[in-house]
Amino acid sequence: MWRRYLHFWGPRAEADVDDELAFHIEMRARDYMARGLSAADARRAATRRLGDLDAARAECIAITARRERRMTRAQLIDAFVHDVRYAVRTLGRQKGWTVVAIATLALGIGANTAVFSVVNALVLNPLPYPNADRVAMVYLEPTEGNSTGMRVFVAPQPRVVRLWKEHARSFEALEPFRASDRAMRTSDGTSSTVRAAFVLPSFASFTGARPMMGRAFTDVDLAEGGRVALLSEPFWRSRFGADSAVIGKAITLDREMYTVIGIMPPSYRLPRLSETVSDVWLPLDVREEGLGLSVIARLRPNVTPAVAASELDSVYARSALAKDDHGDFKAKLSLPSQLVDFRDSLVMLSAAVALVLLIACGNVAHLLLARTAARQRELAVRAVLGASRTRIVRQLLTESLLLGAAGCVGGLLVGWVGLNALVALRPDSLPELAAAHIDGATLAVTAGLAALTSLAVGALGALHALRHSAHDALKAGTLGLSQSRRQRRLRSLLVVSEMAVSTVLLVGATLLVRSIAHLQSIDPGFEPRGLYAIQVALPVDSYATRAARRAFIGQLAERIRSAPGVAAVTVAAGAPPSRNWMIGALQVDGQPAPATGATAFVDYNGVDANYFRVMGIPLLEGTTLTDTSASSRQGLVNAGFVRKHWPGQPAVGRRFRVVYDGKEEWNTIVGVVGDAFTGGLTAEAGTPMVYVKSTDLFEPAVIIRAAAGADPVPGIRSLITQADPALAPPTISNVENAMQRSVAGPRFTMVLLVAFTVLALVLAAIGLYGVMAFAVAQQTREIGIRIALGATQTGIARSVLLRGVVLACVGAGLGLLGARWGTKVLEHMLYGVGRFDAASFAIGALVLLGAAVLACLVPMRRAVSVDPLIAIRAD
Amino acid sequence: MADSSTDFLKGTLDLMVLKTLSWAPTHGYGIARWIEQCTDDVLQVEEGSLYPALHKLEERGLIVAEWGVTEHNRRAKFYRLTTAGKKQLAASRDYWARFAGAVFKVLETAPGTR
Repeated sequence: MWRRYLHFWGPRAEADVDDELAFHIEMRARDYMARGLSAADARRAATRRLGDLDAARAECIAITARRERRMTRAQLIDAFVHDVRYAVRTLGRQKGWTVVAIATLALGIGANTAVFSVVNALVLNPLPYPNADRVAMVYLEPTEGNSTGMRVFVAPQPRVVRLWKEHARSFEALEPFRASDRAMRTSDGTSSTVRAAFVLPSFASFTGARPMMGRAFTDVDLAEGGRVALLSEPFWRSRFGADSAVIGKAITLDREMYTVIGIMPPSYRLPRLSETVSDVWLPLDVREEGLGLSVIARLRPNVTPAVAASELDSVYARSALAKDDHGDFKAKLSLPSQLVDFRDSLVMLSAAVALVLLIACGNVAHLLLARTAARQRELAVRAVLGASRTRIVRQLLTESLLLGAAGCVGGLLVGWVGLNALVALRPDSLPELAAAHIDGATLAVTAGLAALTSLAVGALGALHALRHSAHDALKAGTLGLSQSRRQRRLRSLLVVSEMAVSTVLLVGATLLVRSIAHLQSIDPGFEPRGLYAIQVALPVDSYATRAARRAFIGQLAERIRSAPGVAAVTVAAGAPPSRNWMIGALQVDGQPAPATGATAFVDYNGVDANYFRVMGIPLLEGTTLTDTSASSRQGLVNAGFVRKHWPGQPAVGRRFRVVYDGKEEWNTIVGVVGDAFTGGLTAEAGTPMVYVKSTDLFEPAVIIRAAAGADPVPGIRSLITQADPALAPPTISNVENAMQRSVAGPRFTMVLLVAFTVLALVLAAIGLYGVMAFAVAQQTREIGIRIALGATQTGIARSVLLRGVVLACVGAGLGLLGARWGTKVLEHMLYGVGRFDAASFAIGALVLLGAAVLACLVPMRRAVSVDPLIAIRAD
Repeated sequence: MADSSTDFLKGTLDLMVLKTLSWAPTHGYGIARWIEQCTDDVLQVEEGSLYPALHKLEERGLIVAEWGVTEHNRRAKFYRLTTAGKKQLAASRDYWARFAGAVFKVLETAPGTR
């Protein structure tokens, strides 16, 4: 189209020159004839006198073409400015129309902006490190036997990390780190929890961060014992009032003194997945064995994660470690974006908002079509007055682009508000959402979407306008008949598509709602109300052995038992909602021994005899633990375990063991308890689980049941402080709330999808309303005639409603088909509801039909109240 | 003599076109005729270069063209002097007068007088 416009001048330049020269010859010949020459002679003489005609002609054309090319450019700009001015004027004249169109676009675009900024922050751009595209998390994965249904990360031992660092060539940097909480003693004698992170000196160059003050870690620090600390900038500000004198001072963490040597900026940070923020940085000593390490690495250019992982595996396999270690693991590299739990939800929500935008586009297309129809006369008049088609199309496109620009601005506003709401409503399980913000990429995407949208919508309107010649329009009055039929078909198509898309969203949203309803109606199998879980962080230095840790917790539990408001106390390996696993393959009586070193996972909890009573888990068969000695080999299993291994048979007296190195002793089952969702409500119901005596626990939890109506938390806090004043304040969680929080992630996803679906439905209903209202307005005369001929009001109303409902039904039908395919993205987000759940499909379709009927009500009323006399006379 | 007169004309064609148009807008043929009549047909405009010259002047913004109708009801391209053209004409005329004066002086000066 633009090309045509540019070439527009070409042929005319030549014709003009020819015309001009011909005129000259003609005039000259006329002169000669006046002097008595014959017509033919006069013409010859005139031509001769002009000299080299072709050369002159060519030169003139060249000059003109050159000049006009230059002018065209100027004119295009000029025309554009004119088009924009004109568009602003036309849009301004129909303020209501314009506001609706812009608002629709803004909502559609804004939803996308909000979701994209989350995707951008969490998935596309999760790490603030240099060369982030080559940064990956490195961890171990069990080769087989992962029965947990979850991704299992095994943190490599320091000796493995040392080996990797020494031999692996695929990496520019391999940075192990560990995060853990420390108790910081303050001057007034109280303790508070600080989030500490242990890193190597090279971590500074890995992150590209420089100390804001003081210095970062060096290898000398490690050699000298590593009693130095870096403070993060926010922590330094909030806890030390940004006092630069803190450098060189000592802080006490878990009874150890550390000298503060520097302040690090926020860019010195762990990958967001492991820890949101660290307060204090301490040097990591990889020479010490102990807990596994997290590892983040930067690959060399052109090394793929798979290649790097296999190098790590072969480095390990060649080493002496491989012979001694148990377990079958292989290295795995994941880009941080792949580790975002919310990723599936984000993919789904991105699709949902894209659909919302599609509906918004449909609506704006409607609006443009309706306006084009109403403006047919204006356009026709302009065409007759000499405006070329190109020019009219350009005008229409300019208008839609202008709408798009306004929609873009509005969309950013809506997106910004939406994003803030989204971040504010984020569940605790998604702390990384806080990092989402609107940046350059978001702006670019928003602008791109707006441009695309307005071009698509504008092109539709323009094409439509082009099809009707000016002649038709003038002749046929406001609207030609054939054209009105074609328009109506196009509008029906649009509205049916909108209905279909809405139905897909409705079905999806209903599925999620039903899934969440299912989660919340689950009987957890225990009584979470009044239950509190207490986790005390015991510093490894003061409580080195498992026995010492267990002993301290045991004494603590005894003291808590007599605290006010406490009805019962028990100690367990894990408190709900959490899952604990024994690593190894399960073997039950009668089964052959499994291979050693298998990395299967068996859900378990280490408990005291009163655990089931305190928790409210029913004992179905046998007794609870009766032998409470350290050497007790008694065990209990849940009903799901029995269902799986000995369905319908008694389990008491049978034995099981979890085989890892082959030397494990058998546990004899003394009782069977009910299935309990102690791992959170999203865990699979009735997963086989075993309970054994709680000996040798590294971080045991104290679980208490509060007396009815009592709040035991303050009493317990002071008890713990009395027991060891150096401890960081314990984490005391209300199990009932925590169980609800275990569904907070899925519920958040649901709330978002429902919000987008409501938006889509409202837009689609507005679309249907628009089509119906337009149809009624157009058929006023026909309706008038029908009323005059005796049609009843009911009859008229029925015909309007019927048309709307038929459109909605066709849309709903197509939408249900689409949903059968589209709900695939929800597959892993549904609990207790299948993705083909008939009820959800039915509800989705019914809600759509309901909305459709509502949308038809006003047009129906208008149709019924048509005054036949006025209507027939109108045209 | 005709040859030298036309060569001579080439440099001054622009000036004469501008001068012609300073009286009234007219078409290419009108310009040619005007110059011929003014000079009692002594100067015959070389028509092959008149039109390129006109187009160049138009390109330089000294004149503008628009299509109009002649007294014989024939469509023709009329040229009109722009403000820039008027300024250019004034400047060129001064220059031309000084140049012509200088040339004249050379021609009038006898060899022995120096």
